[in-house]
This record gives sequence, C-alpha cells and structure tokens, in this order.
Amino acid sequence: MKYFMFVVDDPTAEPYVREQDTIADWVEEMTTRGISVDGDRLRPAADAKTVRIRGGKPLVTDGPFTEAKEMIAGFDILECADLDEAIEVASKHPMARFGRIELRPFWPFE
Amino acid sequence: MRYLMFVVADPTGEKSELDVEEWVTTHDSQGVRLDGERLRPVEDATTVRVRGGEVIVTDGPFTESKEWIAGYDLLECDSLEEAVAVALQHPMAQEGAIEVRECWPLDLAEFPETRAAR
Repeated sequence: MKYFMFVVDDPTAEPYVREQDTIADWVEEMTTRGISVDGDRLRPAADAKTVRIRGGKPLVTDGPFTEAKEMIAGFDILECADLDEAIEVASKHPMARFGRIELRPFWPFE
Repeated sequence: MRYLMFVVADPTGEKSELDVEEWVTTHDSQGVRLDGERLRPVEDATTVRVRGGEVIVTDGPFTESKEWIAGYDLLECDSLEEAVAVALQHPMAQEGAIEVRECWPLDLAEFPETRAAR
C-alpha cells in the first residue's frame, strides 16, 4: 500500500536539537528497506504560491492554501505492507518528535 | 527544479470545464509531471507524534481546516512561474485550489548523527 507522508512543523512539539536529528539514518534505513520511494524537504510555506481560478480569472496569492500554526515542511512517499508498518516508519522519523507526521493512503482513480 | 503541487478541495470552488486526464497526459508527455495521485479523504488520515519518548497515534489530519489536500502532483519545471502556469491549467485550480511549493533537498551529510555512525 502506498501512503503519502506529510512532514509537519509543529510549535507545540519538543524543541529541535540538531545533534539528535536522525534524518540521515531514517532515509538510509527506509531507502534500504524499499519503503521511502521518494521524498523531499519543501521550501517554507511563506515561499508557496496558491492558485485559484474564480469567475474565469486566475488568482495567484503568496503563501499556503490555509493558515495554520502547523506547516508542511516536507513529504515522503511510502510503500508499506499496511498502516501498522506506515506508523512504525513515521514514528521513527525525527519530525515525529520535533513536529508531527500525517499519513494518508493513496486512492488511485479506477 | 522539482515542485510539489498540493491539490486542495476548497468549498469556494466552481465547476470547471477542463478534463484532469487531459492535463495529466499533456504534462506527462512534456516531462513536466513526474508523478501524482489522489489521496484518501482526511477522515482516513492518521497523525503520528512522539512526545516524551511515547508514540502517539491519532485519527485525522495534522490540522483541521475547511480546505484539505485531496491529492498531489510532482513537477519538473524551470521556475516557480512555470509551475504556477502548469497549476493554473489543472481543473482543480477552479474547482478547489492548488498550492505550489519548491522542493528544497537536504544535504544529509551535514547531519551529525549519521556522521558519528560512519
């Protein structure tokens, strides 16, 4: 099963400690296990553009589609046996501690 | 440069005449669209946190809002302007909203934990 993993900044999380950031280990383990098939950090939400077309006119605004104190900082695409494995993988990601992680199953069009 | 498009369900959206399959075919053939998929609704989201060493698993998305991410596409474009132009051709620009974010690869060699392990 494929999952989209949102890696999210969360001001209520434990303070970030760079020396305890195990991201390189996580990437190595999940790539070796064939679980993380793609992923990247994203430029900050402040650098996002949100586009809409309303009444036939394009509207391009700066910033993310919604204002929240939690902000998406990156993503991974996971290939997992089931949700339990996806949760195990997410819980090992350093941002589960320094932020939060959302897992969402893929839903391909028939 | 890679750009991530969040395809957003937005209740202020309007009906679009555009066809999403046509958008996919066109941008796949131009090498602009690398990947993309629809995602299960937010009701099927699971949020994972580690606090004080404990793993906390909750149902639902990382934040509640009236707009929500319904899918994604990964693009290869020369600039943010090009990625915005591609996003504007997607039917969900009218039916919802699209957020465009530039990818920002991490230099994993900079991370002390792994340096120490080597």
